[in-house]
Amino acid sequence: MTQVFFDIMAATVIIGALGVVLVRNVVHASLFLIMALVGTAGVYLLLSVEFLALVQVLVYGGAVTVLILFALMLTRARELQERLDGDQKPLAAVAALALLGALIAMVNQTVWPRDINQLTVVPFNSIGDALFNRWAVPFEVASGVLLVALAGAIVIAMQEEGET
Amino acid sequence: MEIFGFDMGDAWVLPVLPAAAFAVLLLISPWLPRKGDWLAIGVMLVTFALVIAIGKDVADAIGDGGFHGVARNWEWSNIPGFIEIRMGTFVDQITLVMIFCVTFVALLVLIYSTGYMHGDRRYGWFYAIISLFVAAMLTVVLADNLLMLYAGWELVGLCSMLLIGYYNDRQSAAEAAKKAFVTTRVGDVGLLIGIIILFWQTGTFNIQAILHAAESGAIQREWLTAAAVCLFAGACGKSAQFPLHVWLPDAMEGPTPVSALIHAATMVVAGVYLVARMLPLLEAVRGVPELITGIGLFTTFLAAFIGLAQRDIKRVVAYSTLNSLGLMFVALGSGAVGAAMLYLFTHAFFKALLFLAAGSVIHATEEQEVDKLGGLWSKMPITAPVFVIGALAMAGLIPLSGYWAKDEILVGLDHGPLGKGILIMTFISLPVTALYMTRVVLLTFFGEPKDQHAYEHAHESPPNMTVPLLILAVLAVVSGFVVFEGVGKALGFHSGWLGFVYNLAEGPEEYHFVGWITLLSVALVVLGIAAGVGIWGGAAEPARRLAAFSPLTYRLLLNRFYIDELYQLAIKYVVLAAGQAVAVFDRAVVNDSGVNGTGEATNFLGWAGKHAQTGKIPNYALAIVIGVVVIAIVAFGYRT
Amino acid sequence: METVTQEVPLEHFIVLSTILFSIGVYGVLARRNAVLILMSVELMLNAVSINMVAFAVYTAPTLFTGIIFAVFVITIAAAEVGLALAVILRIFRNRGTANVDEVDALKW
Repeated sequence: MTQVFFDIMAATVIIGALGVVLVRNVVHASLFLIMALVGTAGVYLLLSVEFLALVQVLVYGGAVTVLILFALMLTRARELQERLDGDQKPLAAVAALALLGALIAMVNQTVWPRDINQLTVVPFNSIGDALFNRWAVPFEVASGVLLVALAGAIVIAMQEEGET
Repeated sequence: MEIFGFDMGDAWVLPVLPAAAFAVLLLISPWLPRKGDWLAIGVMLVTFALVIAIGKDVADAIGDGGFHGVARNWEWSNIPGFIEIRMGTFVDQITLVMIFCVTFVALLVLIYSTGYMHGDRRYGWFYAIISLFVAAMLTVVLADNLLMLYAGWELVGLCSMLLIGYYNDRQSAAEAAKKAFVTTRVGDVGLLIGIIILFWQTGTFNIQAILHAAESGAIQREWLTAAAVCLFAGACGKSAQFPLHVWLPDAMEGPTPVSALIHAATMVVAGVYLVARMLPLLEAVRGVPELITGIGLFTTFLAAFIGLAQRDIKRVVAYSTLNSLGLMFVALGSGAVGAAMLYLFTHAFFKALLFLAAGSVIHATEEQEVDKLGGLWSKMPITAPVFVIGALAMAGLIPLSGYWAKDEILVGLDHGPLGKGILIMTFISLPVTALYMTRVVLLTFFGEPKDQHAYEHAHESPPNMTVPLLILAVLAVVSGFVVFEGVGKALGFHSGWLGFVYNLAEGPEEYHFVGWITLLSVALVVLGIAAGVGIWGGAAEPARRLAAFSPLTYRLLLNRFYIDELYQLAIKYVVLAAGQAVAVFDRAVVNDSGVNGTGEATNFLGWAGKHAQTGKIPNYALAIVIGVVVIAIVAFGYRT
Repeated sequence: METVTQEVPLEHFIVLSTILFSIGVYGVLARRNAVLILMSVELMLNAVSINMVAFAVYTAPTLFTGIIFAVFVITIAAAEVGLALAVILRIFRNRGTANVDEVDALKW
């Protein structure tokens, strides 16, 4: 049963990813991105980390996708209709396939030191516990990063006087 | 006997004094009164006195018998287990003869120069370089190892070059200096190679050690032969033997006192000294004594014939020097060391006399060509007779010094290992020598004056020039008598000359009177003189007829057999051509390809490499990914 | 924390994340529009997160480092997207194009 769910979720993610990198229309690409991101949320569910699944949908599926769509609009991507694929497409394919092959070979030949069929269900509240106890400092720093990124984005994208 | 504790072992002081005089004169002579010539003369006097002291010491040491020379040396460079070089002095009879000749003739020349070089622009420099030369020459003859000898040898060549080119406003003088240096350099390369071979084979530079090794057969025959020939080549260069003789006549561009000191009495006999010193080694190789004798004999005849036609009085004397040097080598080739050194000793006096007297004539008449001279006998009452004495001594007329020396050489050849042919040839050289010496005497001092202006101008030279002439004339007459036992003992030695200087392999000898040799040599000399008087005496009419008889021969002799021109062609078409080829190689290969090429290759690589900077981010990202893949594969491959 | 034996072994998740990562790499290298490249970067980040979480849950549950890691990745990725899009807008205004092949002022 679980295997079937996994296969469905995996297929969703991969088809979404392929769509992002292969389609000719940028807006379609962003829609495929949404599909991939939601699929990932499903994978998190299979791993019994519901918290992450929720966060994924909220942040990625919500905010990030909207941001991307706004950017596409502001850079007139659909209107200008330029060619979407670069000159080094064949080389890129080769490189990506080589990377894939290397990594999968590595995975196949790894000798796992323990039984890897045991999955531990992580309780919801212990994540929160860890986040505010052990990982408190990175948490605060992440907030700082978000603040800086916010301010920086405003400064960079601000329109000066006289610009269009 | 020691004087103030100065003995043979202290001989190292001898080169130091003139060297110090050189240094002082070089630095401050312009500010000294009379430019410091008194300093040079004073130092030379002191050095000569020390030579006398050493002479007495040597005389005493020989009296005890079995004297093989005294050496004293100091460690100069020592790398344990690898090289040890010791520098020092070695004094024996040959050394004594050389240092006596060098210092004595140098002293007389310095006194003579106060008159001859008076008022010259570079007066102080002259005295400085002469002092340096004496220091270098003393180093050569006192050295106990070949390295020190070579250093002094080179320095002597340098001083010779500086003094030949003394009149530095004359192009011909500069050319002559260059020619002298380059020609002797050819010989010096041979000497250096010989020294290196000997060091390589024996592990030492010490002369006595090398001679022992050569005699005992410790050196391989091929290397010994090569070393012997190379050493003799060095001697040929300095002593102007054929084919390296071309520099000596041109060296007459230098001032006459220089010619007297360097190119008659001392430097040119450095080669003779070298051969005499290394004779045990040279005799150990089959064929080398024959080579020495052959070249000496050839030079003797070559010089005598060329001298017959030369017009410059100094050049005639220069060719007579070549003549004498050849004879010295002939004697050495047969192992007659005593005879050769006796000739060297007497030759120093009468040849210096001839040069200084010629200088006196030049100083008086301002002319050098015999075409412009003549009839000076009455005008120069001191110079003329002493020149005649020198010429007769050179020709070998009994009882002048030259006779005794040539007699001993003939006796030595008669007893020597080489065939009678050499003896016959040497006999034949006697009348030829007498012939050309008579010619120059007659054309210069007798007959009708050919240039009235020069004749009017002629006057006798001042005393500071004539006194050395007189001293040398006396010596030219009597110095041959040292062969007698009585004379030797009177001077403080234990025997005559031949018991003093001898071939170490044969032992000391006594003077023997060999009747037929004496008679034959005297007869030949008188024959030569008479023929000379007949040809060039009076109006010299027979001379003109002879010259007209065979103009080709006359031209050959006058132009020195065109040897100089031959060398010039060889230089132009061989040496300079080779230099051009090397220059092309240097420019094309070393410079353009090697040096410039490396730079340009780097430039090109940079130009080629810059195309990787496309500025496009996807390209850079691709490079990163490929790098990651490669690293992953390599790392993974290592782990399995 | 309870342990459950899964039917889906760990390797499946790892292979999934690897494939997703490779697709993301291809997208970064082959696409010309800057925004599309950004989207491919998002794919790569997601792949990494899946990998981390899978390892954490299967092999090192007590620390759950991987899960926290994934939380922070999401956070930082969101910040990065905002900034990157601001930069792309600025470039678009200056150059009139969002095409990365034409932004090559650092060319030799």
